[in-house]
Amino acid sequence: MIAEEIIPAVQINNLTKIFPVPFRKEKVVAVDNLSLNVEAGEVYGLIGPNGSGKSTTMKVLLGLISATSGSSAVFGLSSSETASRGSVGFLPENPYFYKYLTGAETLSFYGKLCGLSRRKIKERTSELLSLVDLENARDRRLGGYSKGMLQRIGLAQALVGDPRLVVLDEPTAGVDPAGSRKIRDLVIELKQRGISVILSSHLLEQVQEVCDRVGIIFEGKLVKEGRLEELIEIENQTEIILEDADPKILEQINNLVRVSEETKLLRSGKPKTTLERLFLKETGAESEDVKKDA
Amino acid sequence: MSIDKDKDFNDNLVFSHKLFSLSRVWAIALNTFTQLVRMKVFYFMLIFSVLIIGANFLFLNFTFEQELKILKDVSFGAMTLFASIFSIVGTALLIPKDIEDRTLYTILTKPVPRFEYLVGKLIGIILLVAVSLVLMSFLFFAVLYFRQHGILAEEIKMVRGGATDAQKEFLKETIFAQGVRPELIIGVLAVFLKAAVAAGVALVVSTFASSTLFTIIVSLVVYFIGHAQSLALDYYFPDGQMHGALQRFIAGIVAVVFPNLQMFNIFDGIITGQSISASLMFRLIGLTGFYLAIYSMVSWILFAKKEL
Repeated sequence: MIAEEIIPAVQINNLTKIFPVPFRKEKVVAVDNLSLNVEAGEVYGLIGPNGSGKSTTMKVLLGLISATSGSSAVFGLSSSETASRGSVGFLPENPYFYKYLTGAETLSFYGKLCGLSRRKIKERTSELLSLVDLENARDRRLGGYSKGMLQRIGLAQALVGDPRLVVLDEPTAGVDPAGSRKIRDLVIELKQRGISVILSSHLLEQVQEVCDRVGIIFEGKLVKEGRLEELIEIENQTEIILEDADPKILEQINNLVRVSEETKLLRSGKPKTTLERLFLKETGAESEDVKKDA
Repeated sequence: MSIDKDKDFNDNLVFSHKLFSLSRVWAIALNTFTQLVRMKVFYFMLIFSVLIIGANFLFLNFTFEQELKILKDVSFGAMTLFASIFSIVGTALLIPKDIEDRTLYTILTKPVPRFEYLVGKLIGIILLVAVSLVLMSFLFFAVLYFRQHGILAEEIKMVRGGATDAQKEFLKETIFAQGVRPELIIGVLAVFLKAAVAAGVALVVSTFASSTLFTIIVSLVVYFIGHAQSLALDYYFPDGQMHGALQRFIAGIVAVVFPNLQMFNIFDGIITGQSISASLMFRLIGLTGFYLAIYSMVSWILFAKKEL
């Protein structure tokens, strides 16, 4: 299978979204000429500071708001078409569901909206409650759910229609570390099932753990994008990893470096930065220490 | 997945996605109804019961005609009040709350057209109004039935020397003419139709309103103006004389924005024993259908491109 034969899960081309400010001439550019693709089966991390345009980009992709210019499509279908939502599951940030419904009733309601048959809804409800570890709370009303349980039932409703793309906006916001880990494990499981995922999160370590590719968005622009391993590479440094290195060979390498005018040996070991440092660098919020390290 | 396979999948998706699905609308309607029921709105039945049972004991010194009339007045008044409050407050509570809580995101990111969401919500609220009116009617008719029989027994007892069969028959006819009659059901239907139009008004307002409070206030203003609309039109255009297209256009706009709710107040006549023609009822049903269709379309136009 060659790359050109695949329709991307998400195609966003030159997307711009401008919000007018009421009673003023000025306008807010929330997303500025942004283009990105998410391949089928890929987990894509969209990171950026608050107000950088992540949620706006997701909303345009999901047809909740319209683009000022540019286009977005899900598996080749324009976001403006209702049918494009047939292959998408979405978990918004801090979602509220109908607190008068039980966990099972909630999944049944969303299953009906996806056009599932009664039998299929029953099957999917049991399967998903088991997946998100809420079988014991299936008949409890959502009003009595904890924050972590709400996030998990939210994830289950996103999956009820058997989507090929899942969009998660801050899925671990306000969730304790154990709940957060559970959600991370679920994302890994989705990836193993071949489901594409777009994940927006402030927990950069978590993004680093699960994402294949990452896009950093700042002031509405995609300032950096690529495969995670490539992105966190330090461009002007070279890492040579030797196995069972003979001290004589290491000495020879050191001697070669010493006679070189340009090359410097900074340290031996595994030079790498973290995704968090990269993120701070790209968004201009890094401290002097981080600048030096990066 | 190859490009052909993906195209086939998308073609199936577009083909299988219905532009309008009754099952989706019904799912939203039923969910709205369940939500309102579980908000314990039916506790109002306790207040209604106290009102109409209390009406039996407050006016003991009146004649039986007056007593039964007051009972019907209070019951119809309470039914109109509760039905209108449910339709306006229910609509105003649910749609802006869905937007504020972002629950709407989870619904509209499923393959649900926005029109279906609005129609589903409207049907859910109208369903609640219908069920609550049925419950109120049962209670109202039961109280009225027992009261008319109670009054008959009291009146027969009061006839000196014992009532003859002819007197009994006369009393029965006179008292029962003020009691449970099929016309009362028509009165309840008119209350329902008025509440449905009020729900339509609240639906339009909630699509552009920024809060629940705003929706309730604006809808109530339209509701009250709707009762005075015909008076205003009569004042400005006496004898229905509208000169020129502009006047007719303005009158048409006013009639759509402020529905003539006074037309639905037919229970005053029913209480006093007037008969209601079938043509008037068909006209009211048609008018309700017209208003609901117009309001649903306007709501959709306002909501279709709303930035959420």
